[in-house]
Amino acid sequence: MSSRRSRSRQMSSSRITDEQINDLLTKLQAVLPEAHLRSTDRVSAAKVLQDTCNYIRSLHREVDDLSERLSELLANNDINSAQAAIIRSLLR
Amino acid sequence: MRAVARSDGSHAIWTEASEGFVSEGGRLWFGMAISNAEGESAAKEGGGGRKRKRREEPSLAKWRTQGEQRTYSTKLVEALRRVRRSPPSGATATTDHARSRAVREAADRALAVAARGRTRWSRAILSGRTLKRRIRPSCFRPKPVGSSAAARAAAERGKPATLEKKARVLGRLVPGCRKLSLPTLLEEVSDYIAALEMQVRAMSAIADALSAASSAPAAEPM
Repeated sequence: MSSRRSRSRQMSSSRITDEQINDLLTKLQAVLPEAHLRSTDRVSAAKVLQDTCNYIRSLHREVDDLSERLSELLANNDINSAQAAIIRSLLR
Repeated sequence: MRAVARSDGSHAIWTEASEGFVSEGGRLWFGMAISNAEGESAAKEGGGGRKRKRREEPSLAKWRTQGEQRTYSTKLVEALRRVRRSPPSGATATTDHARSRAVREAADRALAVAARGRTRWSRAILSGRTLKRRIRPSCFRPKPVGSSAAARAAAERGKPATLEKKARVLGRLVPGCRKLSLPTLLEEVSDYIAALEMQVRAMSAIADALSAASSAPAAEPM
């Protein structure tokens, strides 16, 4: 299974072409912030992976900060049903 | 089989990738992620005969819809009420840190539920989140031993070692994705990022609404 011979079947677990990886990386780069700043010619794999790691870390940090903020808000006042209705209506 | 001329070059890759996965009888991540886009139930593991002529974008776009965010926000609000009622440790002092961690875990669980179990990261979250925090310190120790062999293997396969290393780091950031191949990992990562963005949007909205509701003196006593 781990042979590197080219096979007629395109996609096997052992033979992953650079072209496929490049396509996936391009798609991933499109969802990263500042995607509009980059040229679409070449995607540097290492840079995309690094940017993705940084972005995920920053998203985690944001979620943690929001959790802290929410827990503080919860500590002061419980979400009673009236506020829940208010929240739902605000979110609509 | 790759020479299918399409205007959208990446589309051909996805089609064949999912077909390849299906016919191998392996994990249907591509197939399931794409079929999800059509709204069909992706519970069928052996849908080999289906044509996978689908765009890959809708599977990510669902995280941006208003409906999805609303559903998530509602579930999160209910979970937050439960967090408030039952203090996590039951000890005398519910520390702020413990409470925010409980909030974070509730938010992540709700997010994983919203994914409807179609991605690895969501299933990993639902099937035991605490493992991620506890096992992580011990994972660093076997890493130097294995990384040299992995780096050699990666170089043999034509993939630079640094790329492999970065992919491993990325795999550690996403729950349940430590040992995935690069294509699968990238698929999981893009879905995870879209989900995280929705989580941030929803939690910000709830926090804003809560602070507005609590500061307004017109809250009815219930």
